[in-house]
Amino acid sequence: MYYVQAISSITHQASFGTDNVFDVLTELEGNAGLISPNYTDYIHPSALRRLSPVLRMGIVAAKDCHAKISAEFDAISVGTALGCLSDTEKFLVTFNKSTGDVISPSAFIQSTHNTISGQISLELKNHSYNMTHTQNNVSFETALIDGMMCCDEGASSVLVGAADEAIGFLENIRSKVIHSSKPFTSGATFFVIGQKKTSVAIVDSVALNSMDNRSSEIDLFLTAHGLDRSAIGYVFTSDGQCMEGFSQHLDFTNYVGLYYTASAFGVHLAHDWLKVRKNHHALVVNEICPGKLGLTLLSSHEV
Amino acid sequence: MEIYISGYGVISALGNNVEETLQSLVSEKSGIKKGTQLHTRRFMVGEVPFSNDELKSTFHLKTAGSRTTLLGMVAAKEAFHGHELIPGVRTGLISGTSVGGMDVSEQEYRRFLVDGMCDLNRFSHHSSGTSTEEIAAEIGPFEFVNTISTACSSAANAIMMGARLIRKGTLDRVIVGGTDSLTSFTISGFRSLMIFDEEWCRPFDESRKGLNLGEGAGYIVLESEKSLLKTKKKPLAKLSGWSNASDAFHQTASSPEGHGAVLSMSKALQVAGIEANQISYINAHGTATPNNDLTESVAFKTVFNDVVPPFSSTKAFTGHTLAACGGIEAVISILSMTEGMLFPNLNHSNNIAEMGLTPVVHCSKNESILHVMSNSFGFGGNNSTLIFSKI
Repeated sequence: MYYVQAISSITHQASFGTDNVFDVLTELEGNAGLISPNYTDYIHPSALRRLSPVLRMGIVAAKDCHAKISAEFDAISVGTALGCLSDTEKFLVTFNKSTGDVISPSAFIQSTHNTISGQISLELKNHSYNMTHTQNNVSFETALIDGMMCCDEGASSVLVGAADEAIGFLENIRSKVIHSSKPFTSGATFFVIGQKKTSVAIVDSVALNSMDNRSSEIDLFLTAHGLDRSAIGYVFTSDGQCMEGFSQHLDFTNYVGLYYTASAFGVHLAHDWLKVRKNHHALVVNEICPGKLGLTLLSSHEV
Repeated sequence: MEIYISGYGVISALGNNVEETLQSLVSEKSGIKKGTQLHTRRFMVGEVPFSNDELKSTFHLKTAGSRTTLLGMVAAKEAFHGHELIPGVRTGLISGTSVGGMDVSEQEYRRFLVDGMCDLNRFSHHSSGTSTEEIAAEIGPFEFVNTISTACSSAANAIMMGARLIRKGTLDRVIVGGTDSLTSFTISGFRSLMIFDEEWCRPFDESRKGLNLGEGAGYIVLESEKSLLKTKKKPLAKLSGWSNASDAFHQTASSPEGHGAVLSMSKALQVAGIEANQISYINAHGTATPNNDLTESVAFKTVFNDVVPPFSSTKAFTGHTLAACGGIEAVISILSMTEGMLFPNLNHSNNIAEMGLTPVVHCSKNESILHVMSNSFGFGGNNSTLIFSKI
């Protein structure tokens, strides 16, 4: 069991600083924007100016988790599918349009995927293990698998999270990268796992790169934990497919839109659904990219 | 639990495979020269001398992909040569990359900027995760596919992740390493940071001015003992220690005392269960930038209590291959043990004055090399150390 010590999300829902996000969900309207906290409460304004949306969201969600627990992180593991897209695009424009020999390096140095986890370590002066996983739609799950392994190796509080940002150019290539008409959005979810018992725990997470059949993979995963579909109180899924036999489910992309690490928000919903219900299970099913399946099982406990 | 290495593969400016790489190292012949491509020709770079089409035909690659992916396929295929996918041996692929399919995307994006039109299909190769999936499609399928992107420590971190998954029992065997191709994006990026040397780079030399970029890929195969009984492979060496630590000082510069580097080297020694004085050779990160080589030297002095073992940076051979360097240098570290050789730090004439540390300057043979330490440090203060041990 990997008990959730704190959780924080910045999304198109009013998720930041909300006690129970599941209770306040509203279906995403056409042009609903990201609901951002007041970033200057967390980051100095001079530093904030240089930070892209994905960096702002990641740093602030991480700092919010840090403020909620009274311990330093023993490890930081972050998943991001497309990384720092705005700085990447900005630097592509900068060097393609530059005529002289002097070009500004600021977008370049913030374009690497691990700028998110690196900036978190910088902001918190954290010297521990610092990792960044990127695996399309299972980027979050692979980061979580790493974080759980850090707990197994003795870490007592591990920051796990995921963040992705949308840029306008993604719409141009939509049909080449994804089969969905949902809007590309931005979002970040971070949480802390550890051994200290709390009301909700991550039981397990898997990231399957090749699979024959999603329905049977779900059953295999549940069976491995001594469960069947009837034992799952709620399923949070990326598309609502293969839900026969489950009592309740919702598609989290209807609420936060489409970003490749949106399943991390699915975990936040599962967490908030479970925390007011003792001894239940919830499942997050993520197949945002066809054929690549992320499954995360959570449970609730008496404390 | 022991983590065995049962395969290795590499491609870089030094050669197309392990054997050619060894010959270049022994003959002290750098692969760095004036670039030949539109985006490289103004610079000293370590290019792989094949076009993408030549890579596909020469190495019989079936799967389409960016240059990063093609280079990765070549090295991963060599590493996995002689291995088979068999039931009961859960096998994964974990690859580090920082540019992913940028070599393709940047060409199309430039056309988009200039003409407002481009071939949108080609962006399907962009994501770093996709580059690993394409390598997996060429030699897999694998049960677990994972990409690490922590800039210049990516491949070292991929190797570490693989070792930990084997130790946990999640996998029995895993191909680990990294790949990066030369792109306008990274060349312009390092140019904007003004840390290029227009001549050959000079790691750990007082006169060093900066780095030369390179491209390539390096992978090793890790296996548990139980897996070796099934695959019947003869191990080359062991991976005995690993660690990652954060410098938490600056996005691109290392702290003056090399705090993150000290932490990663010290913790890797702990994982390996050996003392600092048991290290026979260090393959340094040694990018030849003023900041890296000074702070890495300071960290050496701290970790090794002023008695620094023989060390060298092989980046004057390959160029700095960014996310791939930890994989390429893992292969070089293994060769050091299997061949009993210390590989030289080319272009060195004067020690860094305040450090007084002299790297290995010529290839030294008939050495007894039991434990090799390999460092890889990246943007974001991401510091990684691996320790390879002789069997």
